[in-house]
Amino acid sequence: MAITGASEKVALQSLKASDWHLEGAFDVFYSQPQVAVTNFRRLEELYNRYKEPDAEMIMVEGISQLCEDLQVDPQDIVMLVISWHMKASTMCEFSHEEFIGGLQSIGVDSIEKLCEKLPALRAELKDDQKFREIYNFAFTWAKEKGQKSLSLETAIGMWQLLFAERHWPLIDYWCQFLQVRHNKAISRDTWSQLLEFVKTIDPQLTNYDEEGAWPYLIDEFVEYLIENGVVQHSK
Amino acid sequence: MSSQKKRSSRIEPFRHRVETDPNFFEKAWRKLEDAIGEIYNHNASGLSFEELYRTAYNMVLHKHGPKLYDKLTENMKGHLQEMRTSIEAAQGGLFLEELQRKWDDHNKALQMIRDILMYMDRTFIPTNKKTGVFDLGLELWRDTIVRSAKIHGRLLDTLLDLIHRERMGEVINRSLMRSTTKMLMDLGSSVYQDDFERPFLEVSASFYSGESQRFIECCACGEYLKKAQQRLDEEAERVSQYMDAKTDEKITAVVVKEMLANHMQRLILMDNSGLVNMLVEDRFEDLTRMYSLFQRVHDGHSTIKSVMTSHVKETGRNMVTDPERLKDPVDFVQKLLNEKDKYDSIVTTSFSNDKSFQNALNSSFEYFINLNNRCPEFISLYVDDKLRKGMKEANEEAVETVLDKVMMLFRYLQEKDLFEKYYKQHLAKRLLSGKAASDDSERSMLVKLKTECGYQFTSKLEGMFTDLKTSQDTTQGFYAASSDLGDAPTISVQILTTGSWPTQPCSPCSLPPEILGVSEMFRGYYLGTHNGRRLTWQTNMGTADIKAVFGNGSKHELNVSTYQMCVLMLFNLVDCLTYRDIEQTTAIPAVDLKRCLQSLALVKGKNVLRKEPMSRDISDNDNFYVNDKFTSKLFKVKIGTVATQKESEPEKMETRQRVEEDRKPQIEAAIVRIMKSRRVLDHNSIVTEVTKQLQPRFMPNPVVIKKRIESLIEREFLERDKNDRKLYLYLA
Repeated sequence: MAITGASEKVALQSLKASDWHLEGAFDVFYSQPQVAVTNFRRLEELYNRYKEPDAEMIMVEGISQLCEDLQVDPQDIVMLVISWHMKASTMCEFSHEEFIGGLQSIGVDSIEKLCEKLPALRAELKDDQKFREIYNFAFTWAKEKGQKSLSLETAIGMWQLLFAERHWPLIDYWCQFLQVRHNKAISRDTWSQLLEFVKTIDPQLTNYDEEGAWPYLIDEFVEYLIENGVVQHSK
Repeated sequence: MSSQKKRSSRIEPFRHRVETDPNFFEKAWRKLEDAIGEIYNHNASGLSFEELYRTAYNMVLHKHGPKLYDKLTENMKGHLQEMRTSIEAAQGGLFLEELQRKWDDHNKALQMIRDILMYMDRTFIPTNKKTGVFDLGLELWRDTIVRSAKIHGRLLDTLLDLIHRERMGEVINRSLMRSTTKMLMDLGSSVYQDDFERPFLEVSASFYSGESQRFIECCACGEYLKKAQQRLDEEAERVSQYMDAKTDEKITAVVVKEMLANHMQRLILMDNSGLVNMLVEDRFEDLTRMYSLFQRVHDGHSTIKSVMTSHVKETGRNMVTDPERLKDPVDFVQKLLNEKDKYDSIVTTSFSNDKSFQNALNSSFEYFINLNNRCPEFISLYVDDKLRKGMKEANEEAVETVLDKVMMLFRYLQEKDLFEKYYKQHLAKRLLSGKAASDDSERSMLVKLKTECGYQFTSKLEGMFTDLKTSQDTTQGFYAASSDLGDAPTISVQILTTGSWPTQPCSPCSLPPEILGVSEMFRGYYLGTHNGRRLTWQTNMGTADIKAVFGNGSKHELNVSTYQMCVLMLFNLVDCLTYRDIEQTTAIPAVDLKRCLQSLALVKGKNVLRKEPMSRDISDNDNFYVNDKFTSKLFKVKIGTVATQKESEPEKMETRQRVEEDRKPQIEAAIVRIMKSRRVLDHNSIVTEVTKQLQPRFMPNPVVIKKRIESLIEREFLERDKNDRKLYLYLA
């Protein structure tokens, strides 16, 4: 670990892979595709900078400090991307493992390096597959611990954030509709199906199929759009 | 024959040395020719058959077959031409007769000629593939006479003319017709068909086309059909009398086409006399005729069916949406039953119980009965009416029949679970107020429902009956066991098992002390024998009989509800009470109390209380007094609650809501059952399967099914397939 700067986990992996021979372990380690070499000690230092004084977590204050250091707004979507890399379980908290693991997977071990990576991280949102993963991740991350559904307010906030990156012309109508007609929490199924809806159905709803097994909330949304003359009734 | 002197013994064929008389043929032929002439002249008796036969035989033997044949042909032709002339000369009506006569002659002659020339017929002719003598004779007849220029047309015209006249009502010579057509048939079926049948059919087609046009302008449908039937019968008879049997089918098809098929729409849809009119006026005879006639027409029955269906649906829809009718539920249902009876008898009488018609009726009824979502309630009210005391049908058999008919209507209901809810409510009221007229009839109805819907439908209803029986026993037991009741009022207690009876939340009111005492004793007795149970008095459901003495001296026994009893007992202590006083003391809910007071004070003939002011509405400070001037002709006065009525709007909403709530778990259970066995299924299939499973009880709404699926997804019973979002997977 001291020589390669690898984390404990990776070191153990390499050793196991080479049957506990030290030489072999080095080979295994260096032959693994790596984005960059991260220094374990420096990551620890970074963690200690942000963590709560009396808990093994990074909480709100630590995160705002981090944002300040990075010179990004805490509401900036890049924080979501970073949280996704960390596999954070809830927003506004990072555990020790999440923080360290996340930064490693991004391939940085200092604030400067992380700053440099920010544009690349933002660019990940343009990738279809990654966007979907991040989108679905956002649901679990944004909801309250122990709740099954996402509160409407938070959901709307997240949607507005996400669909600023991947443009959807009907986003405002959607949020309006929810506030006027639904006023309840959003289920996971509705959340993930909405992305499918956005990706497959065009804004004029010409290829919307009533029999398409969309969640009923989306069916009601379509009715709402028709009622308000936003789209034509295709039948 | 010369025998040679002992040379070679050779057997040589016998050579008949015959005179080769060069005139042999001529002589022989002349003999035959004369004979034939005599035959045609009806002079055959003078001839020797044997001689002629031998002559012909010899001719053929001497290889004169071809010549003989040709001569014969020529000869016969000659005779036939003579005959033809004579036929052509015949005038008017005698034409056919002459033709007939000559035909007979020719046939007889032909037979004799054939017999004479039998040898040729059997040897020369087959070998040389010539037409046999008899057939030759027929062919010659055909070509020389029947198809001759002058006769051919005339023959056909004569025949057709006679047929036409007969159609117009004249009597014609049928045997002559018969023999003429037989002649044609004998000449060969193609002769019959080409020279007679086909033109006959064509002419008939235009005849009937014209006739049907005339009729339809001036006849009503029923009349027209009668005429069509007549014509059909006539033609069939005509064929059997003087045509080939095979023509029957063809002429029938022509008549059917011209008279029925071409005018089908117009007939069936005719105003004031078409199918609809016949149905409305129960014109069985016309309907039967229409059914049997249109059976022969392509699409005939399906047209009748569809017109009938739309008519029934239309009348039905008007019946169920007419606001006037909806005011009296019992009458409403009675009208439905009458309508069903009417159409059943039409199908039985006129449509020979045709299953497809019965099915069409069923689907029409199902359609319009479900247009009005109050039908389940109304049907239950109808049954309630029939099963109460004092109904018109005194005997049980009649009631049975009525109930069976009601079950037919019940089958059409799509919302059977709604019916169940109402039936339960109505049954409870009947049982508790003692109004069920016949236990047997009640049970019989339950059995019918059970047969139709399965045991779960009726298990709770049966529980109600059991409860009452048990309660009787318990009350008896109570009185047997308690000796120290003294002056306490006699009570009769009904203990209702909570799950079986329709629930109505009830906060018990304050009972008068006399009642309280004995009721608590009862409670003690009951709980003594049934440990662990909880009893709650349902003060909104009971009744009481009170003896009352009024200021004017009249004595009466009043039958009242429990609430009314609580109110009245208060007046034993005080003369005047305000509404608020009563409300506070009795703790009866406001809505019920107001209704209760109205029935005690404002109903003529039942106003045991007096109210000041006399207004209808009850306000807090209204004063109530005992009406000392109360009179009634009857000793026993009933002031109980009114008979079961149809629900008010808010009540209706509530019941419907409860039913919808009950449906949700049923839908979910169905979804889970289906997914458990199928494991993977797409959305539309789930909807179809669920609908199929729940149909006996109600028609689930696809949107509700979708919501239930989503709820199950959230509770992790199901999940969507990762690749195909329309598929759902069962999560074990």
